[in-house]
Amino acid sequence: MKKSGLSLILDYNINTPIVFVAIVLFFIIFTPNHLFIDLRNLASMGKLIPDLGIVALGVGMLMICGEFDLSIASLIPLCSYVFATFLMKGTNPALALIILLPVGAALGFINGMIVVKTELPSFIITLSTMMFWRGVVFILSRMAPISISKYINPHPYFEKMLTGTIGRFPLQVIWFAGIAIILGVLLHFTKFGNWIFATGSSKGAARAMGINTNMVKTTCYIIIGVLCAVVGTLQTVRLGSFFATQGVGFELKTIAAAVVGGTSLRGGVGSMLNIFLGVLIIKFI
Amino acid sequence: MSSNESNSNSKELLRMAGINKYFGKVHALEDIDFKINETENVGLVGDNGAGKSTLIKIISGYHRAEKGQIYFEGKKVRISSPKDSRALGIETVYQEQALAPDLSISRNIFMGREPATALGFLRKRVMDEESMDALKSMGLHLRSPNINISTLSGGERQGVAIARAFYFEAKLVILDEPTMALSVKEVREVFNFVNQLKRKGISVIFITHNLHQVFTISDRIVVLSHGKKLVDIKKKDTNVDELSEIIVRGTIG
Repeated sequence: MKKSGLSLILDYNINTPIVFVAIVLFFIIFTPNHLFIDLRNLASMGKLIPDLGIVALGVGMLMICGEFDLSIASLIPLCSYVFATFLMKGTNPALALIILLPVGAALGFINGMIVVKTELPSFIITLSTMMFWRGVVFILSRMAPISISKYINPHPYFEKMLTGTIGRFPLQVIWFAGIAIILGVLLHFTKFGNWIFATGSSKGAARAMGINTNMVKTTCYIIIGVLCAVVGTLQTVRLGSFFATQGVGFELKTIAAAVVGGTSLRGGVGSMLNIFLGVLIIKFI
Repeated sequence: MSSNESNSNSKELLRMAGINKYFGKVHALEDIDFKINETENVGLVGDNGAGKSTLIKIISGYHRAEKGQIYFEGKKVRISSPKDSRALGIETVYQEQALAPDLSISRNIFMGREPATALGFLRKRVMDEESMDALKSMGLHLRSPNINISTLSGGERQGVAIARAFYFEAKLVILDEPTMALSVKEVREVFNFVNQLKRKGISVIFITHNLHQVFTISDRIVVLSHGKKLVDIKKKDTNVDELSEIIVRGTIG
């Protein structure tokens, strides 16, 4: 009857880890010259995967709560644009990131409020906000890339912290794993995590037991907004430039990653470890 | 209308007087007087649209009555939200909406009232142990507090929901059609749980379509029809045939 923490996370879906291991073995064995486990390949994947992965963690958590967020595909370039604009004004990049986090939170809050107030399907709402914010980004930036290298270069530590490497090990992986652990603990071991599952599984039951389901949902949207700010910054620093087309296609890839990780499209079922593995599976393939 | 003299040795728990509720132009409840004593089990019967669930939702705080008073343990109270109702010690178990099917038993029992550390971390072990104790006291023996609600039978689910009400020391438990879509064996299980509540001194309002069930389980029977109270009678003063005839005719002979 006593269960350890790990089996508690895994007990309803052990399939994802099995598939993950199978796919990794498959690639290791069958790629020509064993390129898959080549250090350069692993290092470059380590740099690329967190871009999608970090947002997917938040999107997966929101899906457990029973809602969708497509707007991330525009929130990422929007955050990136705001970051680049601050840099152009001469703001210290670390300060710009600190300012950006509440901006992301506010963007998530707007999504959340529209979803809970209108009670319309979040798929449609966030599809509209995705288009709206993409339009805003296109108009503001005139679709032109903004190079930020010259603003970042004087701050090598900032760049090292976000996108540097230890030996060949990319630091983005640490950010990705760290955020996964924090969200995993939040989802599986706290009161709020139980409210997320309850809201996604049966909104009626959750409300009848006094859970403020609107607050729970809005908080999940806010978390996604903050993650978009993080990813926007990471990606911009890695590329050395803002691009208006950053994040395009992420809206469905994040959902795909969450679903591959065993998250239910109807809410109430999922686990953070499996979403994390789902991201890796999607990106490996 | 039949009298409902209260038992001299039991105290009044809840009384509603002159309750009126409108939905637009529909007069959903007309001057309803309703009361229930401590440890009493009242069966609430009526057809669809008779006003049963409206009355229940007023007690549990989902609706507000336009007119009328509610007294709980002799004091006048205002119930304007489900929270108010629960604070008084009233737990309502809705048939479909009581439990989250994807969550474990212990997570369901403590849903919204999770024991947690100051930082918000769940006290999982406390949840598990207390859940098993609560279930045992209902006479329900399940394998583990970590199994999902969706794998339980309909009767067991009612048991979990009733155990939750009992654990949080409800004084009044309202069961909204707890036997709907259950097999005969499961209905008997649910009756067992309800009898456990009575033994523990908890009052029960049992809502159903089925007159035979109320006669098995309830002490007193209240019949609603078209928003009016048709009958309010002790079980020992009537029988199934008489009552069903009243309901069919819609008036008192």
